[in-house]
Amino acid sequence: MPHRQLSNTRLNAPVNVTWEITEACNLRCSHCLSADLRARGQGELNTDQCRALIDELARMQVFQVNFGGGEPFLRDDFLDLLRYAQARGITTCVSTNGTLLDHALLDELLAMESLYLQVSLDGSDRATNDVIRGGGTFDRILAGIELLASRGFPHYSLNMVVTRLNVGQIAEFDRLCRHYGAKTRLSRFRPSGGGCATWDEYRLTRQQLTELSRFLGERPEILTGDSFFALAPDSRRHLGLNMCGAAKMTCAIAPDGSIYPCAFLCDPAFLAGSVVDESLASIFDSSPVFERFRELEVDACRACDRFSVCHGGCPAVAYFLTETLGLPDPECLRSAVEVA
Amino acid sequence: MTEYVVPDWVRVRQESFGLLFYDTRSTNLTFVRSGDSLTPPPFTGERRVLGIEPLEGPREAAVSRLLQNLMHKGLIVAAPPAE
Repeated sequence: MPHRQLSNTRLNAPVNVTWEITEACNLRCSHCLSADLRARGQGELNTDQCRALIDELARMQVFQVNFGGGEPFLRDDFLDLLRYAQARGITTCVSTNGTLLDHALLDELLAMESLYLQVSLDGSDRATNDVIRGGGTFDRILAGIELLASRGFPHYSLNMVVTRLNVGQIAEFDRLCRHYGAKTRLSRFRPSGGGCATWDEYRLTRQQLTELSRFLGERPEILTGDSFFALAPDSRRHLGLNMCGAAKMTCAIAPDGSIYPCAFLCDPAFLAGSVVDESLASIFDSSPVFERFRELEVDACRACDRFSVCHGGCPAVAYFLTETLGLPDPECLRSAVEVA
Repeated sequence: MTEYVVPDWVRVRQESFGLLFYDTRSTNLTFVRSGDSLTPPPFTGERRVLGIEPLEGPREAAVSRLLQNLMHKGLIVAAPPAE
């Protein structure tokens, strides 16, 4: 089946959406992509509004919702909303910092179907993780992970955002994941939200990016979502997208119902609308912001022999480093000049 | 006549090119260029049967191969018609 050609076709609805369902968080991670949303303090959809949005996601036949935040489990109604989405056939994934997991919460989660958990841990040791996620968090996160393992939670991964601080720990992080029966997930560090302020300190060097690309090619079982589509070697091509899915395959919902092309592009410049004012279907179908992303071409990359496998890379990284859309991903491994 | 049922763990929806399948166990997508030949069942439900447009000749053979491919991927299951 000609997957690549068809994946470029305009879809009737997103395949998945990222829903930052709360601004509230009990941690202050230095690279948090949602730090800007929290700083803007625009509030959250209430329970009825969330239920109405889930009804619409089901009508649109969105396959999967990735709940994040903030820390989703801080919302009093979150478990009810999860069950509400699952009852409508939507696969649910929750990105959590893991610090609120306890036996009572596990009782609830174990009773759910179609639930995947992704626990964030940004280092294989206390010192590294705690610099990024805050003092004392390594032990608290690990306690949550131990609970997931001991209670036999079936579908969970540990996610590390790869930065200069922890890139040397990937092998050890992978061993830690396997020890707990979790899938290993690596995510790309991007200069969005809090990542903007820590970019110079945390971003990978060209050599580290090259080594990471090689490592991912050798370890296809390691999950990356679409994080590294612009950097991944050809051996991982069958595992994910070969292009940015923003406004095509996915979109992001902010806590207040604002809609953006993707979770890494929750910037006022890319506000496509709000579900408080109009339907998500209408925004996805006809927002000028989304149309702009669908038509986005990185012309400077067209002559590259890898164009068909990355299409110019991540627009979010390019935009936040250059304040321009349509430029090549500055971390492209083929790029001759390293962005300072 | 055999029916083709979409298993509980699979979602499928109509797109302009045909059908888009999603396997909830792997979260993998499968794009199927089926045009109007196949019709998706409801998003959820008890027994979700794939609709198949009556065809003849080469198009019938093409759809038959497509169905075999989808069965091989575990996205549909052949079943006798419901009583």
